Amino acid sequence: MISANKPTKAARYGMTIDVDRCNGCGACMVACAVENNVPPLPQANDRKGLTWIRVYKVDNGQRTAYVPVMCQHCGADTPCVSVCPQHAVDIDPATGIVGEMPQRCLGCRYCMAACPYHARYFNWWDPEWPQGMEKALNPGVTPRMRGVAEKCNFCHGRWHAAKQQAAANGQPDGPVSYTPACVEACPTGAIRFGDLNDTTDPVAQAAKTSGSFRLLETLGTEPKVYYQSKRDWVRAIASAPRPGLGKENSRG
Amino acid sequence: MKHRGKIAFFAGMLTALGAGWAGFPYTLYRSRPQPVDFSHKVHAEKAGSKCDDCHSFRADGSFTGIPTLDKCAGCHAAAMGSTTAEKNFIDNYITPQREPQWAAYARQPENVYFSHITHVNRGKLKCESCHAAHGSTGKLRPYQEDRISGYSRDIWRGKRMSDCVACHEQQGLEHSCLDCHK
Amino acid sequence: MNSTRRDLFIYAGGSAAGALLTPAPWRLITDTALWSENWPGIPSPPRGEIRTKFTNCSVCRAGCAVRARCVGDQPVQLAGVASHPLSHGALCPFGLTAHHLPYHPARLKQGSAEQALAAASAAGGRIAVLDLRPGRTASWTYRRAMAALNGLYVTADQPVAFDLHQAKTVLSLGVPLLDGWGTPGNVWAARPGFRLIQAEAIESRTAALADVWLPIQPGTEEALALAIGNAIQHGKADDERALSLANELTHNGPALVLDNSGSAAVMALNQLLGAAGHTMVARPEAPVPDSWQKAVLATGLAQIEDRSISVLLIDESAVDRYLPWHTIERKLVRDNPVVVTFASSRGGYARHARFALPTAVYPEFAEDIPTAIDSPAATFRISTPLAAPPPGMVNPAEFIATLADLPKSDALRERADAIHQAGRGTVFTPADGKTVAVKSLTAEVFWKSLSEAGCWIDEPGHGRAPQAEPRPYLPPSEPGSGGLPLVALLATPQAPPLISPLMTKLYQESNLRLAPNRVALNPSEARAARLEDGAHAFLETHLGKCGVEVSVDAAVPAGMVLVGTAPGILDVCGPAARAKVVAA
Repeated sequence: MISANKPTKAARYGMTIDVDRCNGCGACMVACAVENNVPPLPQANDRKGLTWIRVYKVDNGQRTAYVPVMCQHCGADTPCVSVCPQHAVDIDPATGIVGEMPQRCLGCRYCMAACPYHARYFNWWDPEWPQGMEKALNPGVTPRMRGVAEKCNFCHGRWHAAKQQAAANGQPDGPVSYTPACVEACPTGAIRFGDLNDTTDPVAQAAKTSGSFRLLETLGTEPKVYYQSKRDWVRAIASAPRPGLGKENSRG
Repeated sequence: MKHRGKIAFFAGMLTALGAGWAGFPYTLYRSRPQPVDFSHKVHAEKAGSKCDDCHSFRADGSFTGIPTLDKCAGCHAAAMGSTTAEKNFIDNYITPQREPQWAAYARQPENVYFSHITHVNRGKLKCESCHAAHGSTGKLRPYQEDRISGYSRDIWRGKRMSDCVACHEQQGLEHSCLDCHK
Repeated sequence: MNSTRRDLFIYAGGSAAGALLTPAPWRLITDTALWSENWPGIPSPPRGEIRTKFTNCSVCRAGCAVRARCVGDQPVQLAGVASHPLSHGALCPFGLTAHHLPYHPARLKQGSAEQALAAASAAGGRIAVLDLRPGRTASWTYRRAMAALNGLYVTADQPVAFDLHQAKTVLSLGVPLLDGWGTPGNVWAARPGFRLIQAEAIESRTAALADVWLPIQPGTEEALALAIGNAIQHGKADDERALSLANELTHNGPALVLDNSGSAAVMALNQLLGAAGHTMVARPEAPVPDSWQKAVLATGLAQIEDRSISVLLIDESAVDRYLPWHTIERKLVRDNPVVVTFASSRGGYARHARFALPTAVYPEFAEDIPTAIDSPAATFRISTPLAAPPPGMVNPAEFIATLADLPKSDALRERADAIHQAGRGTVFTPADGKTVAVKSLTAEVFWKSLSEAGCWIDEPGHGRAPQAEPRPYLPPSEPGSGGLPLVALLATPQAPPLISPLMTKLYQESNLRLAPNRVALNPSEARAARLEDGAHAFLETHLGKCGVEVSVDAAVPAGMVLVGTAPGILDVCGPAARAKVVAA
């Protein structure tokens, strides 16, 4: 069903994350869970949680840094898209967002194995909210059932709302500007979001500077999330298979 | 008796065909009437209402859907005609301030995202393109619901994903799953 | 002709073939699949019109401005207000999820106000109110009530505020400046202007982003402050570090020194550095009506005689800092003291009080938020309710006013009118992002702006040098180790009494933060105690023991245990206390 024709003006949404501004507060993590109706999992541990965006604590033996990692929305040879037996994941040519259809997912978790960034999470349990709290769910996002994989989709519900607002304003079809929950929530402004195809967008400009680097660039996945840091040892993290720089930190 | 086997076979086949085509829909669907005996025709003709007088768009583009009680109470705070239907409505809903529990015929599953305003403003679609002559019906037909899945029978009558996809493919507008899912 | 069984089978075969040509079996398969997707009982989010409402967050004293996205009247998402002059659109994880608090399963819901009122009125002897967030309008009600009843108004707060925007060098002795202190938006706005030296035993979040992290032994903060003070006054010191810090603070001023316990040594050091009246001012308060001025002054816990209070009313509905129970219990008479606590959570003083009365939580009720610790100008903002509280909630200010027979009044409105009368300052309205001078508004319009989550900010320059003596609110560390091998470090910041169930994202599901009921041990210490990650254990100090869960974290140095801030843990474990962790 995926169109072979690219739309005339496509957006390529991406992010820049300034690791030197991230204080590891976790506001992005909870704001993401609120926006995307992710259930609380008191019975989980850090390997079975549902944290679409996760802030990893990394260190070089002397100093610490905090690196938020979410789905990198790989632009080339997207690993999870290529392995899914159900075609439950696709990359949208109009936005560059790698979107997941939980209703198609049969729970084989091949995509979780394929993702080099460990950015995909599985619903091990039925989603349950404390009584009454289900009234506070976000109507823009469907809650998922047990047994499906899920991941960050750059707050697709907010993209829908922005497109709807553009239609209501009578604007012609085209890329819209919106803010994902983690970007809105970050109190230090470490995470920024924009259209990488738009040369006037400050995020697109920041992504192109030499100070920006991406995680695991040698794999050739062309992720759309750019990290920035003035610290060399933090840049070296980007080549590590999992944040922790070799010292397999079971804390993640 | 010759052909005994064939007769038995075809007898079985006919019974199954009859049960499957006529009996099965009868048992599969649970039917209930709408809470209020509302007539679109009366409101369109006598009151001169157009579709978007009650089914309107908000400033952010969202669709108000089936109007809430305050919309009806705007005109029907007191009886405007002499029909029993209106009297029942006022007695059972307006006076006790109770919202009618309307059953939306085309209520899609939770994971479907449909933006009315995009189809109206950009697609330039008229209400009748998808909702046929609903706006000029005299009576609301009963709501039929699949006992097993809980979805409305009307979805199978032209509001399935394949129906949406057919039109989108024709217009060259299909891009990605999450365009229509959330 | 007889029908045989064979006929029956052929008939059945024909039926099966016919059935396959009908929609029945295919629909049954599809419908069963659809049913199976829905049978786990996944809730459907509510539908309705999306509305925006504004309020101010009252989870802590920062009082950040909040924009709530509501479906109908139900808040479903919170975000900051970017144009706000103090909070700049920032919210912390607790504030972002606070719309869940009304549904918290551990929420206190029942308690008899009549019985508590009767018991408190009937008991003779000294009465006292313990206010854990002074400066609110409710705090003034307590002070007026205690004036009427000849009782004590007890609080444990530092009467100072700090101005980071004026500082060029900040020495923080373990204060979580960049993670939970003051108003996050304000701190980050001021951050580029000062050099931060974080003196702390472990590399906390603040230490990770500070310009310098100075590892110090836990419990040596006061000694360091004294040494620096000595170095400044006498130009030399035994401690090299103290000397270099003294140089830096005096030559790269204006300087500011912060600590968690408000010790006299740090106050004196700030005075030496000339911070008084500049980067450190007396904590300002919004004006109050003149009729309120005959209220008692605050008393520190340490100043009260032991075993002298018969009736203690604890307002736990707004908590800046939890005080360990033993510091409070020693002030109560031994013989049947009446302790009433007004709380939203069962985990705090409700465990010890005779009467635990349920209160509404943010964002259910209107109350004002006192000026934040990092605001040198007085502010007044009301946390406008976004939801209705459940039936049976008790309002502590009303309860205590009834006890003291104070006339009923709309205290918030009275205070707003007093502020309007003073004529100073500006009011910011979140809906349009505009700031208007108070003088240009009528009292009605001013009250309306405040009721719609506006924020009154006093004129700058009214900050006076702190007058009052500091009130140390944490008892000095008890001496002796008595076989307790580890030194406890309190995790920062202290979690609020009720936190959203969604905080599991940061606690269990990622270990990014230490859950309040957990302690973290270095892997070698954990091995020595035969404890694995997630094990149940007891934290033992000389004050008692508390059940905890263990986290293993290589960032915690050997010889130390990082403890969470659950009230149960704080009851037995003060900062730098000696402790041991044993398997349960």
